[in-house]
Amino acid sequence: MTTDAISPFISEPWTDPSNKPFIRIRGISRHYGAVKAVDNVDLDIYKGELFCLLGGSGSGKTTLLRMLCGFENPTAGSIEIDGQDMAHVPPFKRPVNMMFQSYALFPHMSVAKNVGYGLARDGMPKAQIDNRVEELLAMVQMEGFGVRRPNQLSGGQRQRVALARALAKKPKLLLLDEPLGALDKKLREETQFELMKLQEDLGVTFVVVTHDQEEAMTLASRIAVMADGKLAQVSTPRDVYEYPNSRFVADFIGGVNLFEGRVTADEENHMKLQSSEAGLEIHVGHGVSCSPGQRMWYALRPEKIRIARDRPDQPFNVVEGMVEEVAYMGSLSVYRINLDSGKQIKVTQPNLERAQDNPIRWDQRVFVSWDSSAGVVLPS
Amino acid sequence: MVIAIPMIWLLVFFLIPFAVVFKLSLSEAAIARPPYLPIMTWDEEGILSFILNIGNYFYLLEDDLYIYAYMQSMKIALVSTLICLLVAYPMALAIARAKAGSRNLLLMLVILPFWTSFLLRVYAWIGILKTNGLLNNALLWLGLIDQPLAIMQTDLAVYIGIVYTYLPFMILPLYTSLVKQDAALLEAAADLGARPATAFFSVTLPLSFPGIAAGSLLVFIPVVGEFVIPALLGGPDTLMIGKVLWSEFFSNRDWPVASAVATVMLVVLVVPIMLLRLAQQADEVQS
Repeated sequence: MTTDAISPFISEPWTDPSNKPFIRIRGISRHYGAVKAVDNVDLDIYKGELFCLLGGSGSGKTTLLRMLCGFENPTAGSIEIDGQDMAHVPPFKRPVNMMFQSYALFPHMSVAKNVGYGLARDGMPKAQIDNRVEELLAMVQMEGFGVRRPNQLSGGQRQRVALARALAKKPKLLLLDEPLGALDKKLREETQFELMKLQEDLGVTFVVVTHDQEEAMTLASRIAVMADGKLAQVSTPRDVYEYPNSRFVADFIGGVNLFEGRVTADEENHMKLQSSEAGLEIHVGHGVSCSPGQRMWYALRPEKIRIARDRPDQPFNVVEGMVEEVAYMGSLSVYRINLDSGKQIKVTQPNLERAQDNPIRWDQRVFVSWDSSAGVVLPS
Repeated sequence: MVIAIPMIWLLVFFLIPFAVVFKLSLSEAAIARPPYLPIMTWDEEGILSFILNIGNYFYLLEDDLYIYAYMQSMKIALVSTLICLLVAYPMALAIARAKAGSRNLLLMLVILPFWTSFLLRVYAWIGILKTNGLLNNALLWLGLIDQPLAIMQTDLAVYIGIVYTYLPFMILPLYTSLVKQDAALLEAAADLGARPATAFFSVTLPLSFPGIAAGSLLVFIPVVGEFVIPALLGGPDTLMIGKVLWSEFFSNRDWPVASAVATVMLVVLVVPIMLLRLAQQADEVQS
């Protein structure tokens, strides 16, 4: 089996510099007066990716998406889709379809007419449209709903119709604006996996805008974290979580404990960070490019910390603290611990057993420890 | 309770006056004061007798002046409604698509003429349209015409007056239905390959049908009975039912015939309104 036969999903096309990106975004900006909604963004997205633009409101993710489908004109920069420059190409001529956040189904048309709208615009004969619409409705498990009006459907059904409509013209690129935002939690989880399966089956490139980091983590082949119109980090979900490149990203994706410190030892295979905030010298088990005395931050995920009543047998990364609060969440328990330095940290521990004798409770003194490879050192 | 108040309103100010008019239309004209005979009399033997005279209605059929006036009124109302629709639609669309901040100002401009008396505004049109009026002088000065156009006292002047007067009644309902349309719908249409014109005819226009229907009724109904505009701007051959009604009532002092004219006009107008209501209800049930 050659590498070509492996789906682009597994082969990670962005790691191979000889691969030609499907979408090339270069220096794109969108300014509204003094507001820089999108500011000088470079981004490559490859064929078959399920790419997530993740960010809070006002981060510029939706503006970037709208520039891809042509509803917003860039102030500067260029967008190339499948080798074609998109400047001056109006939305109705782009090889792109979009699923709108509000679904934007035509309320005066039946479901079948909605799904077939794009095909009718292309001048496809009616019999052919009917067949294709049937096929699409079957694909999203909406057989027999063709005669209904959109307002006779539930939120989840509307979402499916919107998806079928956006896929009707077999676009090479599908843009999805908060595709699951209007669904309740349970339906959202189900639909996430259906969406992924559909994307894999069809081989269409998906670009998804979302503010929900969990959704981005589940769906995406890669995530672009956006803040203030710029890309904060572009990586796989695992890398964004385990190797954030800034305090912003570390804090935005999942929970994190951040300690400020100064570099006291900078060796090739380890470094040390004196942190008065944590009340100890943090031992980091890998080299970091830095200079002695430099101010840096140590990001430590809550689930990578251990707590115990007895001092653990390890020479470094052990501090003492007092349990402030314990929250039982079912699959795990969340502890808020006040370190003796005064800093409050968050620790999560999986509930491995159903009954625990003598569990750790609030107002108990505990030892907090972590491995030298548990955290990430951040320069900013 | 909530329903009772409008009901009482309709009863007092609509149904009772109509009953009075309808009763009048069934009586006989007389040179008397009031100029008609009662339909209910006690004869000498103390027997109550009703004399219902439907002759007034037959009279309307006999003289083709009335039928002609009805047809003429319908025609003028229909054409004016269409012109209003064609003029108002782009205006309503432009206001609905304007920035949220300037919409209110534009709407104000639409309503502003109502601050002046309607009669005054129609008289102002005489000043514009008459032979040595503003329009003719301007066109002569520009050299576009050699001699003044005869616009006053023609149907054209009536159309101008009606379209001008009733335009806001078309713009406002159209605006209301256009402004609440989700802008994402047009984006969706464009995204699926519809050019702007196709998107307009397949999305914007059909979704504005309720506004078109409401605006058209608001223009059509009062224009059918319009009296002032044809009287002031129209010529002697501009025969509209409102004018006929006025002359029956005040010149001929034939109150029963005038009442019959009014009753027939009401029936003629109520039928299409009811049909429209039924169609709308059917549509609501369906959707």
